[in-house]
Amino acid sequence: MAAVQTDQVTLTINGQSVTVPKGTLILDAAKKIGIDIPIFCSHPKMAPVAVCRMCLVEVEKLPKLQPACAVYVADGMVVKTTTEQVGKYQKDVLGFLLINHPLDCPICDKGGECPLQDQTYQYGPGASRFDFPKAHFDKSVPLSDKILLDRERCILCWRCTRFSEEISGERELALIQRGTNTIIGTFNDEPAQSNYQGNWTEICPVGALTSRQYRFISRPWDLDRTASICPACSMGCNIQIDARSNRIGRFQSRENVAVDDSWLCDRGRFSFPNFQRQGQERPRVRRNGSLEEVSYEEAIAFTADALKHAGGQVAGWASPADTNEELFLFSRLFREVLKSAHLDHRSGVVADAEPDDIALPIADIERCDQVVVLGGQGVIDAAPVLHLRLFKSERKGVKILKVGVTEGKRALDAIPAEAQAIGILATEADKQAAVDLQAKLAKKVKGSVRRLIVTTGPNGRGAKDLGILPHQGPGYASLNGRAGRGRLQWPGAGVKGLYVHESSPLHGFVPSDAESMWLSTLPLVVFHRFKASPLDEVAHVILPGHAFTEKYGTVTNMEGRVQRIRRGIDAEWVREDWRVLQQVANALGASWAYESVEEITGDLVRELPPYAAVNQEARVLWSEST
Amino acid sequence: MALKEVLLGPLYIARALATTFKHNTKPIVTIEYPERQKAVPPRERGKHILHRYADGLEKCVGCELCAIACPVGCIVVEAAENTPEHRVSPGERYAKRYEINLLRCIYCGFCEEACPYDAITMGPRYDLADDHPDKFIAVKEDLLEPLSASISDTAIPSGAPSAQPVARKW
Repeated sequence: MAAVQTDQVTLTINGQSVTVPKGTLILDAAKKIGIDIPIFCSHPKMAPVAVCRMCLVEVEKLPKLQPACAVYVADGMVVKTTTEQVGKYQKDVLGFLLINHPLDCPICDKGGECPLQDQTYQYGPGASRFDFPKAHFDKSVPLSDKILLDRERCILCWRCTRFSEEISGERELALIQRGTNTIIGTFNDEPAQSNYQGNWTEICPVGALTSRQYRFISRPWDLDRTASICPACSMGCNIQIDARSNRIGRFQSRENVAVDDSWLCDRGRFSFPNFQRQGQERPRVRRNGSLEEVSYEEAIAFTADALKHAGGQVAGWASPADTNEELFLFSRLFREVLKSAHLDHRSGVVADAEPDDIALPIADIERCDQVVVLGGQGVIDAAPVLHLRLFKSERKGVKILKVGVTEGKRALDAIPAEAQAIGILATEADKQAAVDLQAKLAKKVKGSVRRLIVTTGPNGRGAKDLGILPHQGPGYASLNGRAGRGRLQWPGAGVKGLYVHESSPLHGFVPSDAESMWLSTLPLVVFHRFKASPLDEVAHVILPGHAFTEKYGTVTNMEGRVQRIRRGIDAEWVREDWRVLQQVANALGASWAYESVEEITGDLVRELPPYAAVNQEARVLWSEST
Repeated sequence: MALKEVLLGPLYIARALATTFKHNTKPIVTIEYPERQKAVPPRERGKHILHRYADGLEKCVGCELCAIACPVGCIVVEAAENTPEHRVSPGERYAKRYEINLLRCIYCGFCEEACPYDAITMGPRYDLADDHPDKFIAVKEDLLEPLSASISDTAIPSGAPSAQPVARKW
């Protein structure tokens, strides 16, 4: 017989043998062979507490039933999950949980996707044995401007309090009182301030914590669910767009362990009202000072004509929330057709982007010894879900140093020379400080020093990769002296026209004071956008486009991961942005013949081979070093 | 031959008239619809009624169980939250929009069975003819019991044209 591996144990569950690593919970071992054990309090991302008692199973040689969510496997263990005794206990536990549960499922937002409801149907008693009046608590208590708490529905599983303690580390929610009087609440009933409250509603196994924005909007079976990417920041958290009757009801998280670790921040989760469409809209062209509604054909012909008139002196600004496909066409329209290099996606002064900016993948933060957050809260504000990753790393023993941008010296002194893996996080604006610190650290320590630069917008990284920059072409190629001017230099650079493309009000073109003056004197402003903005007032052509949530495409997050966004909302009367760009280019003499987004993605990958990563939703690796 | 028929003619007429007069004394089968209408069985599945509590608040909470139970998908419900200024139902939630497509409805009564608050029942009205398909989308106002003290939960709404049902056997 082969030698027995010491780190693997074999046990029997319901007569099936399963081998799992030591330190696995019975629950996870059962899940591995497809045996379902009902749970409420257990959560794969949190430490077991075994307070709900729903997962009781029979373990041979142990006198009482054991909670499968808190007992680790042992070699030779014999577990039974379907015996008569287990069934009786499951019925009784559900009976106890339901004693004070109001069973107001018809008016509960969780009804239809509620673990308590589902498991009561599957494992629970048909009728209640409890015929006394139920205890009543406060209903719909506002915990903050985002969350409502229904204390009657709460079954005290502690998931939200544990999230607050173990995942976000903010310790905002706590159990108050004892026994049947136990309630969930915040200190002194002050409004919760966490930026991760939306996650409470998702992990709550009953309808106790619900979102105020989603309140009574829909029942789960009405929702059309679309897998997409969060439009709020460059983190690229995976979301699900839940829409009812073509209106977004909510964003839910979709686990991607490498990026979001199944969490979302409130800024992203509750950003969807920005993407609700108000009514239909047609293209408009300014004639004799006022905007007139015209057809797409007319507006495109007008745009092409005006662009031709402006010659090579046209500047193009594409939002960092555009898809790679749109940016690819945008860059080709300017570089190949209009022969202009005045391209930009930025709104301020930032250091040049380099492929090295993505050397530290998000998930690798956990595997560093020391992580320097250069800019402290500023970095967290730019990508709030990073905080959850940093806190998780800290709990694992990674040393997190949050220092100000100018305090790089402090970090340099604090990090010992024998550190093996060091990570530096900084925002785009503070990149130079991060690069300087990285150089100094690389001299001091033996191990690797890598940085991750938090970009702006869900596709800020993609815009840099695809060369929506005045001085760099696609793939960070040098322009050999044919560089154009950046956004800040456009006023006063002889620019005769401006083409602005944006599909997210969160990352739109917001003119500065100086730009406003310049824009009002500009002979041509083409505004290709989703939602009305102050730029409408100076625009000569307004081309309605799709919102971030209304189109297909790919976006690249801060660590260079290319992920797909999908159409969650249909706005069929709006012509696809890439089609409009193609028609403008063709009207100017190009002969593009794309029929779908996939064809553009194919061309993009041919031009920039590292983007083949799009097929695996993997990171774009520009060289071996990244 | 002909003479015999002539002589017996009055007799034939009398026999025929006897049949006529015999039926004259029997109960009338025909109902003068629409002036007079037949009473429908108590469990008739006609046009739906949305009920109110005695205080006038609506029973419907907008839970959409009727909509999900409906085998033809003819019900659309959208819920909203009650506020102290605008209270429609007793609890937290009410139906802001409640629509039934009466042409698509198969009058199976599943909505009535699914309703956890007995808010919707099938009513006695079956005279639903109209001149345009759009007029068969019954909105909440068409379905709601009128606000009137004389209306109990189970009565026929006063809108139904059968104040005096014909009390007569078939």
